[in-house]
Amino acid sequence: MVQMVASIVSLFFMSVITAIFVFVAAKSQERREYKPIKKKWYKARTFYGVTLVIAMLVVTIYTLRELPYDQPVYGAETEPTIVDVEAVQFGWIMSETEFSVGEPIEFHVTSSDVTHGFGIYDKDKNLLAQTQAMPEYTNEVYITFDKPGTYEILCLEYCGLAHHAMIGKIEVK
Amino acid sequence: MSAVISEKKSRNNLVVSYLTVGGIIILAMMVFGVLMLLAQGGSLNLSPAAFYQFLTIHGTGMVGAAALAAAGVMWYFLSKYVELSKKIAQVNLALFLIGVVMVIIGVFSFEYASAWTFLYPLPAISANAWGVTGALLYLFGMLILGIGFLLFYLDTGRAIIKKYGSLAKGLGWDVISGKKAEKDAPSSTIVASTMVTIVNITALTAGAIVLIMNIINVINPAFTFDPLLAKNLTFAFGHIFANSIIYMAVIAVYEILSKYTNRPWKANKPFLIAWTMSTAFTLVIYTHHMLMDSVMPKWMLIMGQVLSYANGLPVLVITAYGALMIVYKSGIKWDMGSGLIFLSMFGWVVGVVPAIVDATIVVNHVMHNTKWVPGHFHMYMALGACAMIFGFMYYLAKEDSNVEEQIFDKIAFLGYTLGILGLSGSFLVSGALSTPRRWATHFPEWMAPANFGAAAGVLTALSLTMFVVHFIRYLSNRNKVEMSPESKKLA
Repeated sequence: MVQMVASIVSLFFMSVITAIFVFVAAKSQERREYKPIKKKWYKARTFYGVTLVIAMLVVTIYTLRELPYDQPVYGAETEPTIVDVEAVQFGWIMSETEFSVGEPIEFHVTSSDVTHGFGIYDKDKNLLAQTQAMPEYTNEVYITFDKPGTYEILCLEYCGLAHHAMIGKIEVK
Repeated sequence: MSAVISEKKSRNNLVVSYLTVGGIIILAMMVFGVLMLLAQGGSLNLSPAAFYQFLTIHGTGMVGAAALAAAGVMWYFLSKYVELSKKIAQVNLALFLIGVVMVIIGVFSFEYASAWTFLYPLPAISANAWGVTGALLYLFGMLILGIGFLLFYLDTGRAIIKKYGSLAKGLGWDVISGKKAEKDAPSSTIVASTMVTIVNITALTAGAIVLIMNIINVINPAFTFDPLLAKNLTFAFGHIFANSIIYMAVIAVYEILSKYTNRPWKANKPFLIAWTMSTAFTLVIYTHHMLMDSVMPKWMLIMGQVLSYANGLPVLVITAYGALMIVYKSGIKWDMGSGLIFLSMFGWVVGVVPAIVDATIVVNHVMHNTKWVPGHFHMYMALGACAMIFGFMYYLAKEDSNVEEQIFDKIAFLGYTLGILGLSGSFLVSGALSTPRRWATHFPEWMAPANFGAAAGVLTALSLTMFVVHFIRYLSNRNKVEMSPESKKLA
């Protein structure tokens, strides 16, 4: 979902930019005095610059409302399942690998050797969430699975020659 | 008059050396890039050890070579305004070559493969894939290479301070504050060079510290360091140094487009403020590489997003806008030089879009370390920074020789543009499909974009070969023609 939005937004703005450059290139062979062009374009730039800053501010505020670092607010009766994860060259040691749909889970991720990346993938190979697995530090990632199935943990930080083979599995019932 | 010509020849010789070394290495690194994509696409059987060695040499070599070539561009234009030391520039080139040889031996003879990121403590803990010798050759090679660049920027800083009084004045702060009139502002070349001097001295110092930390740890693993500090230093170094390539190469855009259109591109207050913003933001936004380290102070990560957005403003509102304005209805004469330079501004701006999207924390949560990342940086580095460098090469060939451009060059221009768009596009599609970057093999559902990217990479490499052939023709021709002390008329 996020990947789709990111792709569409990128494609839209990249197309607009392409159109502008093609337009200017097409108009480049005409020759006009520079002074009036500058005057007109500087005026337009003020509007464009202000619009861009406002748009960036709006997107910033909107996207910073909920951050993946923030622990979710759990209901009074709900206790999250805490899973200790230790990355080693080249595998995942997890205190628990079977979960239920709707169960809030907190992965507490560290590493006993080098830096790895803890990426949670669904059965269609979509990346759902990730964090870094660092030696001496514990990063946390929060997730509640809403579909049953087998999920995979792929390493997302280069960690040595079997980096691509560092795949773990978890089951959600 | 002959002294002027001799001085110009000598300056061009040095710049040509930078460009030749940079161009050849970039072409060679492209071959490794294509081989990696073919392996990921399942079309080439490559052992993981070979793949990760290629990965290491490709990342290190591309950034190093592009930085060297861009430094040559900066040196060429900056030396017209201030007195630079030719010896220092030669020492930088010599140290670069020594460093490159050490890195190549470390990677290919001793199987060292930490990727360019050499994230502590990976150089020392390789799961027996490489040993101490390979790691030390690579790390010392990088250190020597870095020392060369550090000397280079200390010299540019010295020369700017000598002529303008301070680095602050090089950035035009006295004009921004109103102490000096806008018409007396330093040229765009001086402003950009001052910015690069400031950020790269900082980057190279950070890089030297983390390289030495790794060297000590490799020699004696009992000496350990804070991995989070090491990671901060690595990305502070890598992010700033890689980004500085475009800030050096953009000097060619300012100088060349202005010449081709016969329109002035003078530094005014908004221009100076934009470059001060770029200086500050480039120094601090490396934290967008660490958005998935929740142990980092939260405010630093939020600043990573906010300032990454803000860092897009100087290019989107000032530099790219200025390039469009100067070309619009200018009657510009299009040739390879002006064409590549204009293309480079497109490449930079279009690549900024997916980069800004990726700097958004909620997006980064599902796109960090996927192929989306090489998708955006191949766009603004290859279609942006490298197109600036290649555009400058054509410009120099035209100014310094009578080598004519041919139909093959125009075909190569089209091939290069389509090749990089195809390559970057394939990476972006892979990223949207959640394909991890830096993986020696791919699952079947991830292979098609990799194969498409490899084909686009072949087209890019063939096109670049044509650029290089033109440059070689220039090299063989340049000493046979009389040089005019004045530049040729391009417009």
